[in-house]
Amino acid sequence: MSIISINDLVKSYHDSAVEVHALNGINLAFEEGEFTAIVGPSGSGKTTLLNMIGGLDKPGSGTILIGDEDITQFGSRKLIDFRLHNIGFVFQSYNLIPVLTALENVEFIMHLQKVPKDKRLKRAIELLEAVGLGERVHSRPSKLSGGQQQRVAVARALASRPRFILADEPTANLDSVSTRNLLEIMEKLNHEEHITFIFSTHDKRVVDKAHRVIVLEDGKVVKDDQFQKNA
Amino acid sequence: MIWIVAWKNIWRNKMRSLVVVMAIAFGLLGGIFSSAVFKGTSDQRVREAVSRETSHIQIHNKEYTEDNEVQYVIDGDRERLEEVLDTIKAIGAWSARVKFMAMAGSANAGTGVMVTGMDTEKEKQVTEIYSLIKDTCGSWFSQCKGIPVVVGQALAKKLKVRLHSKIVLTFQDMQGNLTGGAFRICGIYRTSNSVFDEMNIYVNRDDIIPLLTAKPGTCHEIAIRMNEDEKIAAVQKTLKDLFPALIVKNWKEIDQLTGMMNDIMDLYLYIFMGIILLALGFGIVNTMLMAILERTRELGMLAAIGMNKRKIFFLIMLESVFLSLTGGIIGIIMGILLTLYTRHTGINLGSFAEGFEKIGYNPMLYPSLDIIFFINLTLMVIVTGILASIYPARRALKLRPAEAIRNE
Repeated sequence: MSIISINDLVKSYHDSAVEVHALNGINLAFEEGEFTAIVGPSGSGKTTLLNMIGGLDKPGSGTILIGDEDITQFGSRKLIDFRLHNIGFVFQSYNLIPVLTALENVEFIMHLQKVPKDKRLKRAIELLEAVGLGERVHSRPSKLSGGQQQRVAVARALASRPRFILADEPTANLDSVSTRNLLEIMEKLNHEEHITFIFSTHDKRVVDKAHRVIVLEDGKVVKDDQFQKNA
Repeated sequence: MIWIVAWKNIWRNKMRSLVVVMAIAFGLLGGIFSSAVFKGTSDQRVREAVSRETSHIQIHNKEYTEDNEVQYVIDGDRERLEEVLDTIKAIGAWSARVKFMAMAGSANAGTGVMVTGMDTEKEKQVTEIYSLIKDTCGSWFSQCKGIPVVVGQALAKKLKVRLHSKIVLTFQDMQGNLTGGAFRICGIYRTSNSVFDEMNIYVNRDDIIPLLTAKPGTCHEIAIRMNEDEKIAAVQKTLKDLFPALIVKNWKEIDQLTGMMNDIMDLYLYIFMGIILLALGFGIVNTMLMAILERTRELGMLAAIGMNKRKIFFLIMLESVFLSLTGGIIGIIMGILLTLYTRHTGINLGSFAEGFEKIGYNPMLYPSLDIIFFINLTLMVIVTGILASIYPARRALKLRPAEAIRNE
């Protein structure tokens, strides 16, 4: 059974009395453990699709099944709770809480999940070590490089034990070394821990690492290629 | 953890938060100090009115309260009344007085006065007029040539008389005949109420009763000083029940203006502080709105990762309360210190003494506030913080995470 199943997804916006079809009948399924890149030119609907899968926006029509639950039918309160326990987010601009240390940023989401203090502290340290920041747990975001901040964001996304992680242009603000490090970490997590990653990206380096590449144009899937995983 | 985040959030923009904190602190300092001066002045007036003018409770003949005629004395079972007064433990002292209107005249001027004739030693336990005679202005019924009288400084000035001067009192006796006598000023007192000083003179009851052609022991008024203020109402009720023919009034009923001022003072102070906090609340709203505008993307992120609306509201509310409370605590501490200091030194408004004394207030002010006021004020600061957070928090809750995350 697919972890995510999208059926006839349509989303339209009204821009100056003109109807814009951001998503125009999308049908997709994602399996557990996939490492998928969604690509396409600006305005093709990548971010809109990711927002729909992440429950951050409501479609005009269609269904999004996560497991066997159609999240398009959820009310806002249930959707927030669903996101907290099922979906990890990595954003283009990292979006860490600047007044908290790396450790506290990772811990915070587990606090929202009401995980006991000792357990969340242990897991946050484990995750920061897994992303190579074991030595910087007490650093605030302002003391970390862009690449390090994005690795904290990945650790935070993993902290809630989500069923999959959505990453919107995660490497857009990173230099090549930081991008390579980040991709290696995510690839490793995917390979060893079987964590499902879905990226929207323009970055060829991300596309090269992906096992599946979905190409969107004008709100439609125009290409969906699967590649053999590297051993 | 949300508490820690909220506390750290208010110090993101230190200068902006410090400006608001200082505005709250100095706003409250001003409010607290003004309140302390008002309250201290009011309390002082009550203390002085009770200890010098009204005492705690007064007993009169019913007709005397309606028409201050000399014949309306406290009669009936006087012995029983005095026995009861002696047995009530909450009563510290009492003094039986003859009290009537007279014309006081000197070689230079004349004026109407209220003459109080009393047992000079017993009276010292009820009122403190005796202690308000300066060394250079004689003493409380010391031996002098002639019948001694103690007058107020304002009256002495009006009659153009000095210590040891002679004045003549003219009044009606018990039969309605005009009578009078010459008295020698043995003491000149000065309270903080120049109107009272101009109106009231004191003589020995034993000296005045023969002139009134009254029976020995006659009295128009019994003034009572309590040991415990809180038992005034209970003692008043007891006396009313036991002696229904007499009029028993407490100090608030006697000096209604002072009583009313005292009663509304607390309400007035809370309204005053409420208006100050309301003004400060708008400053907090503005600061919180700016903070939310700056953190649109972060708030979007929090909503996206699963922080529910209740918790986001709570976070913003806590930030607002912390901001208010920080300024509030600093302001309250400064207010307490300034109040304690000026309570110790007093605030001398001597240059306005004449005006103050005409309305019965002491120009030397001693600010005072009680602990309950500060507890309530702290609660008001917290409520202000909560109320000031509502509008900014509602704005934050209206953010759509998908759009907020992309906000630049």
